Amino acid sequence: MGTKVCDRCGHKLRSRHPMSLQTVWAFWLMGLICYIPANTYPMLRTQTLFQVDESTIIAGAVEIAHHGSYGIAAIILFASVVIPLAKFWAVAYLAVSVKNPTRVSNQRRQLLYEVVEYIGRWSMIDIFVVAILSALVQLNTLATINPGMASIFFALSVIFTMLSAQAFDSRLIWDVQAKSGGSDAA
Amino acid sequence: MSDQVPEVSVSPARKVFLSGASFVWVIPLAALFIALFVAWQNFNSRGPLITVEFEKGAGIKAGETELRYRDVTVGVVEKVGFTDGLGSVSASIRLDKEVGPFVDNGSVFWIVQPEVSAQGITGLSTVLSGVYIEGSWDDNIGGEADTFQGSSEPPLIRPGEGGLEIAFRTVANGQLTDNAPILFKGIEVGKVGRARIAPRGNFAIVEALIYEEHRQLINDSTRFWDTSGFSVSIGPAGAEIDFSSIATLIGGGITFDTFVSGGGRVSDGTVFEIFPDRETARNSVFSTSEVEPLELSVIFDENIAGLAVGAPVELSGLKIGSVEALSGVVDYDQFGDSRVRLNINISIQPARLGLPDEVSAESALAFLQNRVASGLRARLASASLLTGGLKVELVMVPDAPAARLTGEVGSFPILPTTENEMSDAAATVEGVFTRINNLPIEELLNAAINFLDSAEGFISNEDLRETPGDVRSLLSELQGLVSSEDVQGIPVSLNATLQRVETLVATIEQQSIAERLSEVLSAAATAATAVETSVEGVPSLIAQIEAVAAKAETLEVNELVSELTALTRSADAVVGAPDAAALPGSLKRALDELNYTLQELREGGAIENVNQTLASARNAADSIAVSSRDLPQIVNRLTQLFAQAGRTIEGYNKGDELSREAASTMRDIQKAADALASLARTIERNPNSLLLGR
Repeated sequence: MGTKVCDRCGHKLRSRHPMSLQTVWAFWLMGLICYIPANTYPMLRTQTLFQVDESTIIAGAVEIAHHGSYGIAAIILFASVVIPLAKFWAVAYLAVSVKNPTRVSNQRRQLLYEVVEYIGRWSMIDIFVVAILSALVQLNTLATINPGMASIFFALSVIFTMLSAQAFDSRLIWDVQAKSGGSDAA
Repeated sequence: MSDQVPEVSVSPARKVFLSGASFVWVIPLAALFIALFVAWQNFNSRGPLITVEFEKGAGIKAGETELRYRDVTVGVVEKVGFTDGLGSVSASIRLDKEVGPFVDNGSVFWIVQPEVSAQGITGLSTVLSGVYIEGSWDDNIGGEADTFQGSSEPPLIRPGEGGLEIAFRTVANGQLTDNAPILFKGIEVGKVGRARIAPRGNFAIVEALIYEEHRQLINDSTRFWDTSGFSVSIGPAGAEIDFSSIATLIGGGITFDTFVSGGGRVSDGTVFEIFPDRETARNSVFSTSEVEPLELSVIFDENIAGLAVGAPVELSGLKIGSVEALSGVVDYDQFGDSRVRLNINISIQPARLGLPDEVSAESALAFLQNRVASGLRARLASASLLTGGLKVELVMVPDAPAARLTGEVGSFPILPTTENEMSDAAATVEGVFTRINNLPIEELLNAAINFLDSAEGFISNEDLRETPGDVRSLLSELQGLVSSEDVQGIPVSLNATLQRVETLVATIEQQSIAERLSEVLSAAATAATAVETSVEGVPSLIAQIEAVAAKAETLEVNELVSELTALTRSADAVVGAPDAAALPGSLKRALDELNYTLQELREGGAIENVNQTLASARNAADSIAVSSRDLPQIVNRLTQLFAQAGRTIEGYNKGDELSREAASTMRDIQKAADALASLARTIERNPNSLLLGR
């Protein structure tokens, strides 16, 4: 497969992204690595008059649940744990499914890819909340909220996951169909 | 669009290392390197881990509690646990790298907690932030150590707080607390550490620090004294309370002064004595400093109350020591009986004896042994008349039985005693008190209570309450009777009648009439005597005439009076004298005339008239006699009456209590009695007057 150059913009014309999957895996791995400290380090550092409170994402959610706000706890857990993990799983599944035969139809996988790419940016909502709280609650000794180490790693994790999802060339999904020669699409 | 797939030119791939790898892998690798670098740097910058063992945790928390040096955080407690066997709390502290080398084997650690003391409030910041561990070490790098023993209190001298380190020795029970200030002219120039008991247990040792800038205030003639508490003095200027400061009032304090100049420099570790007050401190400058006291035992045969611990021991009026302990002792073997003896321990300060040579307990003992051999004895003496307190006196007793100051091994030497000298005043006072003590106050009070009880019962008796009223009414009746004109007229009428009768009888010498008159007279005399007796009994009668009332009602006085009156009338009639007043005088004339008439009528029948007249007179006399016989009965009745009244009043007397009513009754009785008495006296003076009218 030769490489051509666009006459207008000079961009190299490629039918597929070279090393698309490698990029996907590289960023995926980075995202996963960052996700570990994002969960072990404290997300928020809340300093009130007498005490300093540092809690990780899950611990914070559990604490909120203990106070009776099960809805909020569920939202936090869903947005900060379930969705990132689901994204990791989805990207990995897509990447693997390109190379290996799968029973899931191409259309469904394409839909999954689009959903992952769409949802990806919303994972940053955690970081936004932390940023807003930190900016607003700065009352010196009375009460101070600072972002914890986890917020940085969480943001990195989200960024790398998004990059990973973007690096995935969705056309690869359909290549399998081309290879097998059959049209089993619904 | 054609779906013809363009021809793919396949060329053999040149396998170059990582040729197929994406550039993007650099990113994870870079991240890995960065992470490793950070980890290494982090590890590299860690300081040493030390372990400090504390007796109590006092709120140390892993990951939170800080180690501070000069109030700057230089480490954090990483782990809190126990030493082997749970003996103490061990705190593992991660030090900052730069201070690590300085934490050597001379370091001291203590936990800073909020503390409120007389000197102020310390560690207030730890109320909110929690406790922290304060460390103290010098600025030299010394021998390495990683396990330290945490102290429970801040060290007296902290780094950078140089000064003169001295120690105090005190035997008094001064209330010196930790960090009590040492004041000089009101300014704190040092502080006192924690007091310890000296190894031998006879005094307390306190470490103290004089701050560096005040070091020159102390020399070896400086005297320290205790300013703890306050002193109250009452003088001409009024009461005065004196204390140095609130801090010393609560926590105790020490101040000092150098009374004489020219003291030598002192070095660290010099031991000073703390005197109880300024005067003692000043005096001590001129006397030998006190040394270990000489302890002696004294056994007195009598156990006299009043001796107390701390009572002075005097030699020639000079206090040389004090009583340390009192106890009883029973020792059959030593004394030959089982009496309880008073055993006191005295401590004598050798310095007060003024010994010429070395001042020590041994030399004092030798001195006393020498004196005892020549007659020095201990005795109890009054120390104060007011309080009755006793003191121990050492006196020279001439011709004292030989004795020695000896003691068995393991006990105090026993000082021989002599007879106690209790002051006379004390003895007298004691005697007075004994006498007061012996007064039968209990019995007296009991008797009084009994008496009052029975008096109350008696007075509240209904009968008795009615008595005075009865008595009074009786007496008023009696008085009315006695003072009635009828009764008072009796003697007069009687007199008049009897005069005539007597004149008649004497004149006519009629035997039978005379005899009867005589009977009448004796009866009257008896009556008079009875009355007299009655009158004599009046004082006792006075008290009681209660029962008389009833009988007096039924008394036949009225009858008597009317009878007497009738008698008088009949007598008058018998005599038949037309002019009663002229009768006595004219009777003789009449008799003369009668005689003459008789002589004239000797031959005539006139005598018969005379005889008739005489018969009439005899009848009259008979009537008088009858009346007279009744008189003693009346008198007897009165006597009985009075006796009865007397008894009643006697009973009344027993009550020993007269109500006001009774008193007025008494006055009435008195009046009645007076009337009776005057009547009686008249009769007594001349009983015949009853008959003779004179």
